[in-house]
Amino acid sequence: MTQAVVETQFLADRRAAAASALAALELPSFRGVDGWEFTPIQGLELDSFAPAPAGESAAGLLELDSANAIRPSSDDPGPGAAVVMGLAAAAECYPEVVEKHLGTVVKDAESPFVARNEALWSDGLLIYIPKGVEVGAPIIVNTVHEVAGSALHWRLLVVLEEGAKAEVWHQTLSADAEAEGLVNGVVELVVGAGAKLRFVDAQSLSESSWVFGSQRAVVERDASLDWITLGFGSANGKIFLETKLAGRGADARVTGAYATRGRQHLDYDTLQEHAAPDTTSDLAFRGIIGGRSQAVWRGMIQVDEGAQRTDAFQESRNLLIGRKAHADAIPGLEILANDVRCTHAAAVAQVDPEQLFYLRSHGLDEADANRLVVEGFLHALVERFEEGPVRDAVAAAIDARLQLSLA
Amino acid sequence: MANPEQTRVPLTTEEEGLKDLNDDYTERYGFHDAENYLFKAPKGLTRELVEKISEFKNEPQWMREFRLKSLDHFLAREMPTWGSPLLAEVDFDNIHYFVRASERPERSWDDVPEDVKKTFDRLGIPEAERSFLAGVGAQYESEVVYHQVNKDLEDQGVIFLDMDSALRDHEDLVREYFATIIPANDNKLASLNSAVWSGGSFVYVPPGVQVEMPLQAYFRINTENMGQFERTIIIADEGSYVHYVEGCTAPTYSSDSLHSAVVELIAKPGARIRYTTVQNWSQNVFNLVTKRAVAEKDATVEWVDCNLGSKLTMKYPSVYLMGERAHGEILSIAFAGKGQHQDAGGKIVHVAPNTTSNIFAKSISKGGGRSSYRGLLEVANGARGSKSKVVCDALLLDDESRSDTYPTIRIGEDEVDVGHEATVSKVGDEQLFYLMSHGISEEEAGKLIVNGFIEPIVKELPMEYAVEMNRLIELQMEGSIG
Repeated sequence: MTQAVVETQFLADRRAAAASALAALELPSFRGVDGWEFTPIQGLELDSFAPAPAGESAAGLLELDSANAIRPSSDDPGPGAAVVMGLAAAAECYPEVVEKHLGTVVKDAESPFVARNEALWSDGLLIYIPKGVEVGAPIIVNTVHEVAGSALHWRLLVVLEEGAKAEVWHQTLSADAEAEGLVNGVVELVVGAGAKLRFVDAQSLSESSWVFGSQRAVVERDASLDWITLGFGSANGKIFLETKLAGRGADARVTGAYATRGRQHLDYDTLQEHAAPDTTSDLAFRGIIGGRSQAVWRGMIQVDEGAQRTDAFQESRNLLIGRKAHADAIPGLEILANDVRCTHAAAVAQVDPEQLFYLRSHGLDEADANRLVVEGFLHALVERFEEGPVRDAVAAAIDARLQLSLA
Repeated sequence: MANPEQTRVPLTTEEEGLKDLNDDYTERYGFHDAENYLFKAPKGLTRELVEKISEFKNEPQWMREFRLKSLDHFLAREMPTWGSPLLAEVDFDNIHYFVRASERPERSWDDVPEDVKKTFDRLGIPEAERSFLAGVGAQYESEVVYHQVNKDLEDQGVIFLDMDSALRDHEDLVREYFATIIPANDNKLASLNSAVWSGGSFVYVPPGVQVEMPLQAYFRINTENMGQFERTIIIADEGSYVHYVEGCTAPTYSSDSLHSAVVELIAKPGARIRYTTVQNWSQNVFNLVTKRAVAEKDATVEWVDCNLGSKLTMKYPSVYLMGERAHGEILSIAFAGKGQHQDAGGKIVHVAPNTTSNIFAKSISKGGGRSSYRGLLEVANGARGSKSKVVCDALLLDDESRSDTYPTIRIGEDEVDVGHEATVSKVGDEQLFYLMSHGISEEEAGKLIVNGFIEPIVKELPMEYAVEMNRLIELQMEGSIG
């Protein structure tokens, strides 16, 4: 993505403030810190990776067959159209949008990752859908970690104004499948009143990368968010994935699929915050854990005082396919309103011998039977989407990844 | 949902129904006796006091050293910061760590000091014993004041003693097991107990012996700012069975008391231990307890844990499944009313192959109370073929109360089948409407729904405790709906 050489005062001020805060935010020892107990990041030296800009392209994991896809452009599309523009340029063209929203959704001042991102981001993008605009074509964005041994701090701000509708596809990739590095992203999703956003995010970094992410959505009155996240790459790190149902009638569906192998450690921390009455959320995460890899999912449903008639659901299921594979699930409920329906479920299982037996009794060999069961486990998530390009692309990405996991 | 026909008519009259729980608690349990003690330590914890306790009890050198080492651990450890903000209110300097009410445990009720006897008479303990229980121990302040065990059991070699007597009469046996499941440095409160422990029960059941009637212990705090630190060990030898039941109360004072027990259970191959607690401490007691069990090959350990009283309870009974095919079961009820935080739950660790476990937890929050389920389910690498199910349900009775669920699941073995489910909901309007349309008042309907909610666990209690439990729940429920 192209960046303007000179940043607006607004951006420069934010950067400077974060840079000065950074000095006081030495990467703490996370041992014993709530939420970080199971994340083995003691080997991380944050400053050993020099910041570097993103690259232009790499082979994508999500293949969306869409000739009319909207891609980032430094040209102002004019009124009534979707803006997909580098953040520095957007801060000049759309200061009222950038200045109103940037840093208001993800604002964890205590996090050394968020502060580093604020101070050092080299790759930023604004997606802005003005009031009432419905974008038919998908918006497709790739973030590519290109320089081996570097840190890529990227951020994405998506703003849908009242009644707008859009579908955004984002992938995080490594140019070199073996490259080491650190990728640290901040994603802010603002879904205005009555707006509809579908956000598909795939992480397929090299399996030698650190990955950190702070991703958060605010869903306003009667708006809906359909968030899909795929986690396949990286060696270690942690992603926060948070949704705030901020207005009455807001709805969010969050779907996560991941597959790990080798010695990967994949770590998700999800939050469904119900801050207004009559809100609904439905979160489902599933993972296939192979080899000696580890997956951690920590999920919280938080119902604030007064958020009556909340309906919240949360589910985590892991399938362990490696003898030394390890899965941690830490679901949580914190409920401060009484007229609610909140449910969570978590399960860890092996490939069901009865299913295997059934398939083999119908003539499949053991490897094929095993593959079918494992694929079926993740494909159950795909059933959450209507038929169409999203469902096909997610299914294809899962299959491609499982080919590696089951190899 | 309970069938209305099967549900007991509440014992309380209309008039009593207007009282809140605290009123009734004060009347039933909240009295306190005049203090007429043989010894009452000044407030605060010192090395000298620990030495003095050991000296008083005329303990062997190893126990004295264990206490002093534990005190060092206690002093070296920080107070935990997780769990509850109320924890910060515990003031270790404002507690009497040792109070002696009687010379030695009596075996005849008539010999118990009159004022103490009066207390337990009011609580109905000897009556309970007379009716059916196999053995009874009653602890008043720091020490057990009364102890009785059925002669048949004694003849079969069952040991049921207060811990102080057991240390005197069966030193080798106590030493073999003491602090083997919960080491002195396990956590700050366990270290404290290890330093100043007094009283509690020691139970040994020989191989093959089935103790058909429950053994019962009753714990009572009488003094303001008292600390009670009982220490209990139960060993069920191969193929044996024992059910141990404990109840606890304290008077209502304006300042806080501390109850910090350590309970260790050892179920040898093929043995089964059930441990039932009905905790009804007054609402100025911090109840910070460490309870842990090991289950060897083919053994079963069951914790039935009901928490209604106390200001703050933090208690997570644990079972380590150490031998093949061992089974662990935790049934938990927590009811948090005004000003209370029940942080309860359970932990199961599968270490051996083909082990199984269940956790069923029910929690209710009312009147601004907070109940939390906090649990751990862990399957270690190598515990192939393990199966576990964890189900937590919570009921919120009003919009000022809070419910939390914090289960942790750690799985290091691929050949397993584990599942966890939790639900938080309110008393359903449809249920209320249905019952009210059948002529049941809204208040009664609410009680019926709550009774139905906890019924699956209450039915696991011995009858006397089930009756008491239902009564306590009804009291907590008075005026809670509408």
